[in-house]
Amino acid sequence: MAVGGRGPAGRKAPGTDSGVAPSTAPAAATGTGPGRALAPATPGSLTAPIVVPNTLWQADNPLAYDGGQAAEITHLREFGLTEDGRTDTARWGALQVIPANADYILDLIRANSLWPLLSGLACCAIEMMSAATSKNDMDRWGMFPFRASPRQADVLIVAGTLTTKMAGPLIRLWEQMPEPKWCVALGDCTVSGGRYKRSYSAVQGIDRVMPVDVYIPGCPPRPEGLIYGMMQLGQLVKDRRGHWAERKIGPTAPDDI
Amino acid sequence: MPARPTAPRPQNSRVKARAAQPQPQQQEPSADDPRVMLDRQLGTLYEPIPPYPTRTEREGEFYSLGDGEMFLNLGPHHPATHGVLRLVLKLSGEQVVDVDPVLGYLHRGVEKICENSDYYHVIDQVDPLEYVSSLFQEWPAVLAFEKLMDVQVPRRAEYIRVLSGELLRVASHTLFMGFQALDLGGLTPILYGFIERDEIVEMLAALTGARMLFNYFRIGGVNGDLNHEFMSRLGDWMSRAAKQSQAQSALLNENEIFVRRMRDVGVLDRATALRYGVSGPNLRAAGVPFDVRRAHPYSIYPELDFNVPTRDEGDALARYLLRVDEIRESIKIIDQCLNNMPDGPITAKLPRLLRPRPGRAWAAVEGPRGMQGVYAMSDGTDQPYRFRIHDPSFVNIQTVPAILPGGLLADTMAIVASLDPIMGGIDK
Amino acid sequence: MDRTLKTRLEARLGEHLRVPVYQRQDQTEIRIDPGSVPEVLRIVHDALDLRFEILADLAGVDTGDRMQIVYHLWSPMTTDWLRIIVDGISRDDPRTPSATFLWTGAEWLEREAYDMFGIIFDGNRDLRRIFMPPDYTSFPLRKDFLLPDDAARSTGAGVRHVEQAHTPAIVADNPAAGIRRTPAS
Repeated sequence: MAVGGRGPAGRKAPGTDSGVAPSTAPAAATGTGPGRALAPATPGSLTAPIVVPNTLWQADNPLAYDGGQAAEITHLREFGLTEDGRTDTARWGALQVIPANADYILDLIRANSLWPLLSGLACCAIEMMSAATSKNDMDRWGMFPFRASPRQADVLIVAGTLTTKMAGPLIRLWEQMPEPKWCVALGDCTVSGGRYKRSYSAVQGIDRVMPVDVYIPGCPPRPEGLIYGMMQLGQLVKDRRGHWAERKIGPTAPDDI
Repeated sequence: MPARPTAPRPQNSRVKARAAQPQPQQQEPSADDPRVMLDRQLGTLYEPIPPYPTRTEREGEFYSLGDGEMFLNLGPHHPATHGVLRLVLKLSGEQVVDVDPVLGYLHRGVEKICENSDYYHVIDQVDPLEYVSSLFQEWPAVLAFEKLMDVQVPRRAEYIRVLSGELLRVASHTLFMGFQALDLGGLTPILYGFIERDEIVEMLAALTGARMLFNYFRIGGVNGDLNHEFMSRLGDWMSRAAKQSQAQSALLNENEIFVRRMRDVGVLDRATALRYGVSGPNLRAAGVPFDVRRAHPYSIYPELDFNVPTRDEGDALARYLLRVDEIRESIKIIDQCLNNMPDGPITAKLPRLLRPRPGRAWAAVEGPRGMQGVYAMSDGTDQPYRFRIHDPSFVNIQTVPAILPGGLLADTMAIVASLDPIMGGIDK
Repeated sequence: MDRTLKTRLEARLGEHLRVPVYQRQDQTEIRIDPGSVPEVLRIVHDALDLRFEILADLAGVDTGDRMQIVYHLWSPMTTDWLRIIVDGISRDDPRTPSATFLWTGAEWLEREAYDMFGIIFDGNRDLRRIFMPPDYTSFPLRKDFLLPDDAARSTGAGVRHVEQAHTPAIVADNPAAGIRRTPAS
């Protein structure tokens, strides 16, 4: 399957006036008029992924970040199959970070002070807030300040269903967070689409659009589950011991699921 | 700003020297420049302001700026906890001139999924709409299906439904109080709200098995009977409930900042509320005593003795105080339910494969946010042909362009919070 | 079931009603043509013995052959809900008058019906998409918009590989044959 450039079927180019003026609506907007039959998918082809073009930001110096990523590879499933996708060296290769004792200590510090970004989208947000408030207190592990600004946050806890309309802003949030950053998928909808598995507008798991470190299943997961997930994240941070750059990203489920 | 125009400052030698230097060429700003980023075509990622050619009359009216006006995007991600609502505000200084709410950031296609689910699964699918008050999403669905199938619900099941529903109403309103204060900047009441909510929700977890998306009501009854853990937790809570709600509301009601920020802010008057189809506490705070439990009674509400609090002012403070009153009424209802709980079965006997006759049914209940309705069409198969959900938050949010303008930017969050919207229900 | 409501509606609406007033349980149902919508809504809202002032819901329905708009109204003068089914909106050019002249709140409900079905409401000042992104081209709740579940039951092939167990011979000729049609609605 060709990677990149191919959006979901039916998307028009941004420049055209694809909003519908009332007088032209039925002809223009209905893709299923009498003359236009739906083309059923050929057996064996997969559904088109939600491809988010990587045109948001380019570094000033074209040689920075080892030349950078190819703009077309944004769907992490394809990226995860490539050599570079298994590790994160593509971005740090030019810097060749050698973990030192300082990084070890820094990771211990970071693990105990992970500041989440308020990214509550739906029901799981209520459980996230419940985990942050008095009865199950996440402040015990230093995670109380839910930063409103992505520039100040460490962890993006995506709590709630991600829809195709919200995917853009969420990816922008993720990209605005400074490194090192981690991502936690809270709830079934973010892990794999969950109860919206066949929905036309829910993103089937946020690992299609961003790298996830910890998956917390549940619908919604109990606040204790979220706390367990955050402790696993802390453990993960400490385990890597400074090798943040070489963490494995991409979905870990087998391909034919 | 100075009261009278001042003369231009005399240029000293340093300024003259700098002006005499050759000016650098106006370079093309580099691609890193964040100002440049916004001008680029961003495609379908999100809609910039001001947008694409405007498509409708109202949009054209909104997106044309007058003198001294500016757009401010209260984007889908913001710290006010109502979820992913995007408000494009047109401001003139600090005052809001117009607002264009943009929805759809949580649209999950529930109605379409329900057309492909059998009747049991629909009840589960419809829970995450207003996730804070899940039972009130299931209730009109089961009512509509019961009307389609002519099912009689046993009395004990009705009492349990009302009991759990009113408990959830108390939890939802307490959470509303917390969110209202949080949006105004007070960080303590939300903790109180969540303590209260956690207690009630643990109770309901003992009864239904889940803390939030309960999936508890069934067509013809409920899923499980009352058990010891539920009753003991409920007893504990009831012994403290009245005093606790009193204490919590005292934290806010007598706080001058809170009251001054909410009084006469976001006034929704009676005619506007009726024209918009608003329902629930927002409508009752505007002076219309319309409560579906009294207007079109369902379940056992005709036998219960409770008041429907109504206020006249229509401002945010009235909506807040009304919900506090409703907590008290709900505690009264819970008390009556417990005292009069009959014995008997908790579900009606139904076949495994539910295939109602072709037909149409509408049912509405009074949720914590307003009238939650379901219009179900059956075509004789085991899946509904059309499952339409009418959500109260959807129509409540629609009043935002009518009540925000004229207020300050700081009042925006107070007003939106006082409408108590839940984005899951708005966006379905 | 309010029998007097039936007589009152027949008296007031007369020739606008396409079929006799149908009553079941606590709902009273009338069917009208799209052209009668403004007048019927005005009568039903203003008439002193009807006074259906509260718009409870405005829904779109796609019945396979045609589209419908379904209004639900409440009045303090009766114990029944009133359901007005605007029947006969064609699927190829779905247009119907807007109810925003009576209820401003119908604006967003009509936007939702437009977004999900493509029904154009004449008179709505703000008819743009409300849930889907503005450049979305399909109308999701139409019966020919197939989710992968639907596709498994239709004569067309499914979208995901799990639904492609058996692809019948008739595939691309008539994808509309997979649309479920209500027997009588």
